[in-house]
Amino acid sequence: MTGVALFAAAAIVALAASAIGSAHAQGKTASHAMDAIGRNPEAAGRMTVPLLLGLAFMEALTLFVFAMVFVLAGRVS
Amino acid sequence: MSFLWLAEGAATAAGEQNAVLFHLFGLEVTSVVTTEWALMAIVILFFFIATRRLERVPKSRLQSVVEFAVESLYGFVKGQMGEERAREFVPLIGSFFIFILVSNYSGLIPGAGHVAGFAAPTSHWSVTLGLALVVFFATQYYGVKKQGFNYIKRMFQPYIIAPLIFVMNVLDHVVRPMSLSLRLYANIFGGETVVLALLVAIPYFLPITTLLLELIFGFIQAFIFTALTTVYLTEATGEEEE
Repeated sequence: MTGVALFAAAAIVALAASAIGSAHAQGKTASHAMDAIGRNPEAAGRMTVPLLLGLAFMEALTLFVFAMVFVLAGRVS
Repeated sequence: MSFLWLAEGAATAAGEQNAVLFHLFGLEVTSVVTTEWALMAIVILFFFIATRRLERVPKSRLQSVVEFAVESLYGFVKGQMGEERAREFVPLIGSFFIFILVSNYSGLIPGAGHVAGFAAPTSHWSVTLGLALVVFFATQYYGVKKQGFNYIKRMFQPYIIAPLIFVMNVLDHVVRPMSLSLRLYANIFGGETVVLALLVAIPYFLPITTLLLELIFGFIQAFIFTALTTVYLTEATGEEEE
């Protein structure tokens, strides 16, 4: 296997693994948020900002891997 | 065969995006920079026209739209940091929001990234890192300006573990622009890459789904950038809230 093929395979695995983690965390957050809104609909407005910020931090983990893949891709020969 | 041609075009387009168009005062001017200029001109022109004949009770639709946008931004910042500081920081935070939103959406216009002189600015790390560095320096400047020595002192609290906590605080401040810029860049660039991949796989109708998602993401990412900026500035300029 060439280096590029190996890198592509490793990149896919790394992205998939990090996406599993992010998706799991985001799903948990969103489900709890929905529960909270269902119990207290008036609080929906105040929950939006912390919820979005929390989701963004989880999303960022996958995106960091994505960015690293692109940064390192230039070094593979 | 057309798929192969598309894939080839996509590959060359990615390289062309960073191609230097011309030099200005010894600095390289790329498609990203020209797009930024165009977007700035459009935004300035739009707000100039919208605020040319202001009326107490808006008659024109344009003024109503702009008033709604500015009031929502102001309301959001006010909810986070209070009336007094909101008046000071809304120009900075609002400009960030408008510029990032327009940049994100400029990537959805057909030809973005393929036509010379036209590429979505936020899909390049250099642009988002620049924006994030402005946030970083603004945080330090306003922190020292508003709190004076207290701002430095708070980095060591609690004093029992002062060395450790100081290192942690410095690390936190240094990592912030990195995470802030990487999040925005990777989101927009990643969206573009996914659209490109779908376009290569099935050129008809399939990319529309991702483009629709990109419409939502573009707004959310602009909002998250501004929300985090607001949080950082609020934290730096004082702990008390009314």
